[in-house]
Amino acid sequence: MDSPAHRLALPACLESLGEFRRFIREGAASCGITGAQVDRLDLVMEEILVNVARYAYVPNTGTAEVAYWQSSPGRLRVEVSDQGHPFDPFQADPPDLTRSLADRPIGGLGVFLVRTVVQSVAYRREDGRNVLSFEFPGNG
Amino acid sequence: MNIEATEHEKAVLLKVTGRMDAENAPQFEHACEQWMRRGAKHLIAELDGLEYVSSMGLRSFLSVAQKLQPLPGSLILCGLKGLPLQVFEMTRLIGLFPVFETPGQALATL
Repeated sequence: MDSPAHRLALPACLESLGEFRRFIREGAASCGITGAQVDRLDLVMEEILVNVARYAYVPNTGTAEVAYWQSSPGRLRVEVSDQGHPFDPFQADPPDLTRSLADRPIGGLGVFLVRTVVQSVAYRREDGRNVLSFEFPGNG
Repeated sequence: MNIEATEHEKAVLLKVTGRMDAENAPQFEHACEQWMRRGAKHLIAELDGLEYVSSMGLRSFLSVAQKLQPLPGSLILCGLKGLPLQVFEMTRLIGLFPVFETPGQALATL
């Protein structure tokens, strides 16, 4: 049985990252997620929110919303949403991790890290919103 | 994040502590570029006090290493642990940098 969701909506910009981090850390603590796992959750949230801040509303601005609830004991379900341009971050090809230093592309690692660290990550477009959802902790 | 630089004969040692995230990762890149403009070819990043790095930080490390390589030079990583080590391993960036336990070991190879 899912618990009620906690929600926080803030301007979609880098300056909101700190407040979103405090918010999701409260969720992690309430769920008994501690220590190194909290850093991994921070990482995933930053990667997702930076993408929203940079791309969702270009050239305008808008809001990012984070919602979380405990999906099962010790486990968070998180949704990050925006009302920006339709964009599925998982449609891009994964980065080629085998290239040499000179040929290694600079971008694409954020989405890769999200996929690697969390479980059941999914994108959906719903009522004019991009919604990215995942479960944490993953298996790693 | 705090960056403390020390000049050695063959390299500049940059001790990076705290969190390297989207808001401050460019500061690391700028610090490295300033030393490169002053002629440094080898930069040693001492990272045992680095608590967190996201993909924005990885971009900075990668970008600096790519600029140093043709000089020829290098960005050497020391003391990686915890989440930063995991992130370098997950992305397989770890294999693209010279990696040592301590700056002393790194300096001995130059």
